[in-house]
Amino acid sequence: MEDKFEKLARAYSEGAKSQKTFSGFQLKDVYTPEDIKDIDYSKEIADPGKFPFTRGIHPNMFQGRLWTKREVCGFGIPKDTNDRIKYLIDEGQSGINVINDLPTAMGVDSDHPLANEEAGEVGAPFSSLEDMEGVVEGIPLDKVSMSFNVSTTVAPIIVAQYIAVAQNGGYDLAHLRGTIQNEPLKGRYCGYGPSTSHIDLCLQTATDIIEYCSKNMPLWYTTNVNMYDLRETGINAAQELAFGFGIAIEYIKAALKRGLEIDEFAPRMAFYCSAHIDFFEEIAKLRAARKMWAKIMKERFNAKNPKSWKFKFGVHTAGCSLVPQQPINNAIRVAYEAMAAVLGGVQSLHCCSYDEPIALPTHESHRLALRTQQILASECGVATVADPLAGSYYIETLTNKVEEEANLVLNEIDEMGGMIVAIENGWVDMQMEKEAYAYQKEIENKERIIVGVNEFTIPPEEDMEADVHRTSSKTPDLRKKTLTNLRANRDHEMVKQKILKIKEAAAKKKDINLMPYIIEAVKSYATTGEILGSIREAFGYSYDPFEVIESPFK
Amino acid sequence: MSLARKIRVIMAKVSLDGHDRGLKVVTSAMRDAGMEVIYLGPFQTPEKIVKTAMEEDADVIGLSFLSGEHLSHAPKVADLLRNKDIKDILYIVGGVFPRQDIARIKEGGVDEVFLSGTPLKEIIEYIIENVRQKA
Repeated sequence: MEDKFEKLARAYSEGAKSQKTFSGFQLKDVYTPEDIKDIDYSKEIADPGKFPFTRGIHPNMFQGRLWTKREVCGFGIPKDTNDRIKYLIDEGQSGINVINDLPTAMGVDSDHPLANEEAGEVGAPFSSLEDMEGVVEGIPLDKVSMSFNVSTTVAPIIVAQYIAVAQNGGYDLAHLRGTIQNEPLKGRYCGYGPSTSHIDLCLQTATDIIEYCSKNMPLWYTTNVNMYDLRETGINAAQELAFGFGIAIEYIKAALKRGLEIDEFAPRMAFYCSAHIDFFEEIAKLRAARKMWAKIMKERFNAKNPKSWKFKFGVHTAGCSLVPQQPINNAIRVAYEAMAAVLGGVQSLHCCSYDEPIALPTHESHRLALRTQQILASECGVATVADPLAGSYYIETLTNKVEEEANLVLNEIDEMGGMIVAIENGWVDMQMEKEAYAYQKEIENKERIIVGVNEFTIPPEEDMEADVHRTSSKTPDLRKKTLTNLRANRDHEMVKQKILKIKEAAAKKKDINLMPYIIEAVKSYATTGEILGSIREAFGYSYDPFEVIESPFK
Repeated sequence: MSLARKIRVIMAKVSLDGHDRGLKVVTSAMRDAGMEVIYLGPFQTPEKIVKTAMEEDADVIGLSFLSGEHLSHAPKVADLLRNKDIKDILYIVGGVFPRQDIARIKEGGVDEVFLSGTPLKEIIEYIIENVRQKA
């Protein structure tokens, strides 16, 4: 056993832990002007607000407007989510970010026999218009920026519910500001599985939203390509960009095929990135992302509108970098990750709560996550000058390195025939599994140090017990009652009529936008499961993804 | 220790939660350790898991949880094993949930519980030491 003072001597003489970035790029001891002498500033970096936007999409960045402080929330019955939204607004958040529960994401209602226990468990249930009314109750829709963290093929129904609430409340759709994630292709890797992510259906629903919202909701972001969820599977920084762009390119191809012009919809596409734990690599990644996207849009898709070239993104700090051991340490990790996001020029930010690897956030942990953003915005001086790290020998070198590596991966995807082929042939799964397992082995070999996990550990009995947010055990029953009442009290004939119209339109498979039909059905209080199930049937899939319940509209 | 046959493991998630990174990583480690894994993956029912375990003559059932349903779903598999009088299957659970819940999960009939961040080696060693050899 090492004696106390031997340990001290070892700690004293200890050098840096690694000479690689998180993603494994080999680093030198020091970077000098020599490393960046070949970079053409005006072509590769350029001032903020100028192509290729490496330094940011606005000339003055945060002096114009700070990033949107947008903490994800959603749980329980609609009132629970509404209360938490209002609490976060009171605490100073500047945008709203609501996530759906798992049944909603899978396209089934809260009273589905396999789903009932999970209604409201890790997100808000949106089984019908009534739920959306409850979630946004008392919120002036023309004054807020609303984000729905809803990615699966259920997304058009959630947008339709929001549109219906807005129209019923007399709001002009042109004044609605916000985002729908609308990212069904990544769904199969991030919790939802192939039975709810059929590719043809994904492209139909994604394109419907892109088309409808581009034409009717000019302030609405129609897609938020979710690089974050992809990254959480274990892939590295360059793969995060390449996989995300690979997916974005598929949505663009589908929208072009629908007959849209690139500049009609590209300005309202956005991205959701991870901010992982390697500070400089993440900053470099975000800078590289802007540069890559600008080139993809201009050179590959021939976009002419400068707004189409701009890579606009939100950041979710990396949930998978957080650990349950000594959980308060996670607050420190989140703060560094959030700082990287800010220095990377983020447009909107969600900071994880320190209890993320334990349960949903408590009031206190949610507030601390928001305070982390507020400290960055007001105290640290990181939000004053645009892209303050530009010109750093290291940052510029690393930015180019991430871009180079990401382009290699993207080329590989292109050569395969695009991301859909890479998804269908299992290549994407393989990459994710390989990286996740390698990462875990590096932790166990101590090639990677995680404080509290493989170094600086304490016995579990000495560890702090975090307060745990538990969703109410009454939620499933309450949800069942809500749905029973809804189904009993609505105009059945009307619902059936609207559903049959959706089915008829969907069955033609002639690039008919289903959004107007969905909005009509939503207004008749058709449920989410009924609407999506009917579209699924029209596409030749089972009404119920779990094949337990039958369509009531035969 | 030398084994007459490979240890056979069923790896699955129940319910609607598809977060499968942990399940896949542990599966890879089991395979590297020479175990035979029947990977059912997410979206399984307790009935299907136990039925498969019986058909495949499994030695171990491993379940992973992340989205808060560990307390309601983990005991269901244990109940089924008990009802069918199956005593020779080691039942382990891992994932993301409060440490305070470990005791309750075990009370529900789970043999051992591993929080996220547990070294893979620890899980493998536990299985090798505790697997109930078939007659």
